[in-house]
Amino acid sequence: MTDIDTLQKDLANLPPDHPDRRAAAVPAMLSLQSETGYLDDAAIEKIAEVTGLSSTEIEELATFYSLIYRRPTGRHIVQICDSVCCSMRGADQLLTAAEHYLGVSLGNLASENAPTVLPSICLGLCDKAPAALVDGEAAGPLSRTLLEALLKRLQTEE
Amino acid sequence: MDTILIDGRSIPFEPGENILQAALKADIQIPHFCYHAALGSLGACRLCAVEIKPKDSDKAAHVVMACLEPAQTGLEVSLSAKAAQQVRRHVIELLMVNHPHDCPICDEGGECHLQEMTVACGPSYRRYRGNKRTFPNQDLGPLIHHEMNRCITCYRCTRFYQDYALGNDFGAMRLRNEVYFGRFQDGPLENPFAGNLVEICPTGVFTDAVFRQHFARTWDLKTAPSICPHCSVGCNTLPGARDGTLRRVRNRKHQELNRWFICDRGQYGHQYSEHNTRPLSPRVSGTNTDYRSALAAAAREIQAAAERTGGIGSVREDLEGNVMLRSLLNDLKGIFTAFNDPELETATLTAVSRMQELDNTPHLAALEQTDAALITGDLTFHAPMIDLALRQAWRNGAKLAMLHSSAAQLTQFASTAATIAPRKMHDMLTQLYRQISRQSGANDAVTQTIKTIAATLSQARQPLMAGVVETSTAQDIIALAELAKALESTAQLIYVLPGPNAYGAALLSAAGETVTLLRAAERGEVQTLIVAGSDPLSEPRSGARWRAARQNINTLIVLDCIATATAEAADILIPVAAWPERSGTFVNYEGRAQGFSTVFHRPEYLPSTADIISEISHLLGNPLRDAASMLQDSFPGFQAPAPGTPGAHISAQHLPIQYSELIQTKSHSSNNGWQAALASWLGDDPLAGFSPALTKLAPPNAALINPESAVRASLKNGARVRLWNSVSSVETSIQINPSVANGTVAIQRSILARLGIGHGDSVNLEQLV
Amino acid sequence: MEAILTRHLDQDNPQNLAAYQAIGGYRSLSAAFDLKPEKIIETVEAANLRGRGGAGFSCGMKWRLRGADAPSPRYLVCNLDESEPGTFKDRYLLYGAPHAIIEAVIVSAFALQAERAFIFVRGEYAKGGHRLIQAIREAETAGLLGRNLGGSGFDLHIEVHLSGGRYICGEETAQINAIEGKRPNPRPKIPRPSTHGLWGQPTTTNNVETLVNVPHILINGAEWFRRLGINGGCGTKLFCVSGKVKHPGVFELPCGTPARELIFKHAGGLDNDERTLLGFLPGGASTAFLLPQHLDVPMDFDPVAEAGSRLGTGSLIILDDTTCPIETVLNLTRFFARESCGFCTPCRDGLPYLAQILTAIATGNGSADDLTLLDEFCSTIATQSFCAFAPGAVMPLVSSLKNYYEHYEQHVITQRCPFDASGKEAV
Repeated sequence: MTDIDTLQKDLANLPPDHPDRRAAAVPAMLSLQSETGYLDDAAIEKIAEVTGLSSTEIEELATFYSLIYRRPTGRHIVQICDSVCCSMRGADQLLTAAEHYLGVSLGNLASENAPTVLPSICLGLCDKAPAALVDGEAAGPLSRTLLEALLKRLQTEE
Repeated sequence: MDTILIDGRSIPFEPGENILQAALKADIQIPHFCYHAALGSLGACRLCAVEIKPKDSDKAAHVVMACLEPAQTGLEVSLSAKAAQQVRRHVIELLMVNHPHDCPICDEGGECHLQEMTVACGPSYRRYRGNKRTFPNQDLGPLIHHEMNRCITCYRCTRFYQDYALGNDFGAMRLRNEVYFGRFQDGPLENPFAGNLVEICPTGVFTDAVFRQHFARTWDLKTAPSICPHCSVGCNTLPGARDGTLRRVRNRKHQELNRWFICDRGQYGHQYSEHNTRPLSPRVSGTNTDYRSALAAAAREIQAAAERTGGIGSVREDLEGNVMLRSLLNDLKGIFTAFNDPELETATLTAVSRMQELDNTPHLAALEQTDAALITGDLTFHAPMIDLALRQAWRNGAKLAMLHSSAAQLTQFASTAATIAPRKMHDMLTQLYRQISRQSGANDAVTQTIKTIAATLSQARQPLMAGVVETSTAQDIIALAELAKALESTAQLIYVLPGPNAYGAALLSAAGETVTLLRAAERGEVQTLIVAGSDPLSEPRSGARWRAARQNINTLIVLDCIATATAEAADILIPVAAWPERSGTFVNYEGRAQGFSTVFHRPEYLPSTADIISEISHLLGNPLRDAASMLQDSFPGFQAPAPGTPGAHISAQHLPIQYSELIQTKSHSSNNGWQAALASWLGDDPLAGFSPALTKLAPPNAALINPESAVRASLKNGARVRLWNSVSSVETSIQINPSVANGTVAIQRSILARLGIGHGDSVNLEQLV
Repeated sequence: MEAILTRHLDQDNPQNLAAYQAIGGYRSLSAAFDLKPEKIIETVEAANLRGRGGAGFSCGMKWRLRGADAPSPRYLVCNLDESEPGTFKDRYLLYGAPHAIIEAVIVSAFALQAERAFIFVRGEYAKGGHRLIQAIREAETAGLLGRNLGGSGFDLHIEVHLSGGRYICGEETAQINAIEGKRPNPRPKIPRPSTHGLWGQPTTTNNVETLVNVPHILINGAEWFRRLGINGGCGTKLFCVSGKVKHPGVFELPCGTPARELIFKHAGGLDNDERTLLGFLPGGASTAFLLPQHLDVPMDFDPVAEAGSRLGTGSLIILDDTTCPIETVLNLTRFFARESCGFCTPCRDGLPYLAQILTAIATGNGSADDLTLLDEFCSTIATQSFCAFAPGAVMPLVSSLKNYYEHYEQHVITQRCPFDASGKEAV
């Protein structure tokens, strides 16, 4: 049984207007996304069914948050910080380098095996600037060479 | 009274009011966007900036938002202060950064709040040099056109749709300057009040998709106060016409009724008057002719029939038309009724008499203060604005209890809801009555539902009983009234009546005349039948009998503004003016008489029903006096309420209240025991049925049964079935729906009519193989 | 100085329950349970523990003002949604010692008699959040959480809420909406969360760094805590130093430590010794610039405010003389424009407008009128926005117009960025 199924069972017994249903929406989305990589329309409808909210109500939340992905993502996600400290240390060049390396603009998938590279607000890794999160793990300070090596590894590893 | 000073003017305020509310009441127009009287303050747009100087304070004057600042005695407010003006100018400048400069071709132009505010507060020239943000639009269905680039993100639309109308298929997506108001996916808005987005939006994001198809500039529209003809609530409307055609209908504020809003049926049902099947030329024996010939033919047939003439008025015909027809029949000594179904007549007269007796029928604004309600039947599609008022009551904490036979939208807000087969409703209400009045017979055997509802109602400060006449028997109606009486004297009673003037029609009808007329017709004793604004041949319960009786009627004279089955079958068809094309009076469910004006004239000559009856009486050589005098005979001191006024309670003698002996007990035989229930929808009234925008939203015409019944009858979702009785047979498919009562099959009016049965009647159901 | 909060932090291998208890962890529970809740609040107030999340409001006073008679259920929210650019101290706490956070939440919830606590962790710290959840499970199994925890008669459930990710979720009322599953727009100032917070119930929100001080105060006393600070400050502070310095990092130092010591001693001075300091943001992205002349200002709430800025999160972002201040301000303004929740006009439409003007100036396309425009709009945005987000957002910009005006002029006059020798092309 997946987390989302467990949640569905827990919520099933609550009355339709119970506040826990709404409160479960974002955790449910993150949980489902951890299995599927991103949330397509069917996933939004699934969350609506689990929580008892409407798909529009779920979409209102899904589209607000930066870490809920409504577009296909790669097997790996690289978030490159573009905020002040990383920017002072060349984050912009890293982002350009990533685009150049992948051959697509940020957020788009070059191929099935390609990682998703996204710009991010300050990751709280200013001591490692310029920094990135690679599948949630901190990486930095990065250089163009290190980044390209990283992307290459992510793209080719099984 | 406490006052604040606005630019030196002393303005009174009520405790709890903010500066903006106090100012608007005094007609001081502080610019604003996100504040709306129905929705309250939000503080998002930041336009209503004013400078305040607190009294007895050494605090410097500072700029605040008038919508968020409580009014306090002696507070000095300046709208004209430079600092406040600068904030307002900046806010407008920022809102205009992304707003398209398409005013000359924008369909909101001329009635755009943003346009007005920009002229009033904003800079005349833009300084922004960047690109504008653009959005794709969504297809929101046939009623609303979406143009997101114009959005200024005031959140009025979502606050209305989600918070006020309690819809959940429209919302705010994304964030920053990319906030997008729309649906999860393209598709028609589901809430029956969605049309209000057009007016609630301060600019042109949501516009009237029907009006757009035949657009006119707002300043070119002819308008006059009118009353909505689509149900018994009597919402005030402002139709707009140009070049002899009706273009749109907007709500018009009535302090006690619809106030700022209107339902989608009221806003879009008007297309009946422009429908291409609408009769515009008189017709005798299938041939178009002029009024003079048609009226002469009618008079000839009436003269020939003399006392063998019958007359059917209508619950959607105005007081004037009904009273003239009744007077004509009186003079001829023929039979008159304003109803075309005996049971509906009895139920309506019973309901009106009980509301008269209890004398505690709330208007919509008062309804919102209700703290508990028992609702039998579906209010949403029989009286949408009563539903909307109860949604407000629910938001204020009211407990709603629902007893219904088929799907009813309000159940989603009910604290207790039970599905009850139509013929079990009376028993349910009786048990409830016993439980509440602690009569003998109240015992522990009653269900938890009854106990809960009884407790809810007994504990309420001001409980409300609300019923729907069309789906109730007279006994149900009496039971609901007795329930209200058994509760405290504060209990309120509402019956949704079967038409915009059903109350007036009831006052003009003598009990039992419908069945008398029907039987006379069946026996061939009616030679000429005059039908004004009614469609007996399509009537669900009596339609089959009327269709049979039609064979015995020599001449059928029909006066109507829509192409009903009865109009199609007429020997003499006399088209009449639609409601915005004439003046008249409707009496709503409260007994409130409201006048409506002629908004415009079509190019064709289209007299009112009253005018035509008057003409006929002249041709008969026995001229009737005018409708106003006739109404004064029936209602002492009656003065037709001027259109645009709040209207007045009609002073009429109370109808006698014992009708139970008139109720025919039908033999309900059915080999597998199914009861039919009416499944209503938004376009489900005789006029709105001619509105293409609404009929596009019609639900599939299926047979709805609940899962338990489905299992018992071994029927699966989508199964093809035949519904039949001695009259007719209809093939349709099964739709399983848990909101339908056990043993009940919910079907739309058109199927009921084909089978010649009404809500609660028996029907046979068999699966097709 | 001996580190208090960071002494046992281990980013790679944080203590499990047993190890944490072995170094004295959870000792404050018995100290707390021996006291009446009011007494704890009194002690915290006497310690002058001020909010570490940026506002600097007295923690004890906040707790006292909520009132002991607040109706149940009462909630405590531990704010670990650290997203302020330049700030990474809470990450150290989360990854380094999850049990210290749990201990802090338990004693604080006890003081507030809150029966349910939420730890709101930013989504980018999900790995740390999962470690924290593990630690909570450990504590629950050991009876340190749940009903009658530690035999105290007090019940507490802690839930970790992983954010979907947005800067605005760090705002107290937006965070409440986020936990409830509503769109995280900030709520109106009235009614206050202390009476009408989560689900309309009394709710107290504190930054995680604030809370982790509480167990130490309970064990060692208010007076001990006050003495930890210098130059008028109380307690220690987790300072972050980043930007153009040799050794960016988190430094736990006495509250009141001068900026000069932080930058030049602990962070190793500027990247390149040849360079000179242009200025610094003392408390994260939403604070005003301080100049080299402010290097001796004690890094504490009041002295920094007197110098014209805010201590904020105590995160110093350092600019040297190769850093274009306009480029920096542009980056910050874009950040805030991107993270605006979109609720009120000045923030939603004003910040992107400012970013657009700044872009023009930074790329050599600015005019003198643009400087007036910036000034004009900043005043409306700073004073007329719905929440504190936008006023904070324009703070660096407003101060840069004052402190670096000659740089703006130079950009406008020469129509290029003087810091960019190669000369950037107009975008």
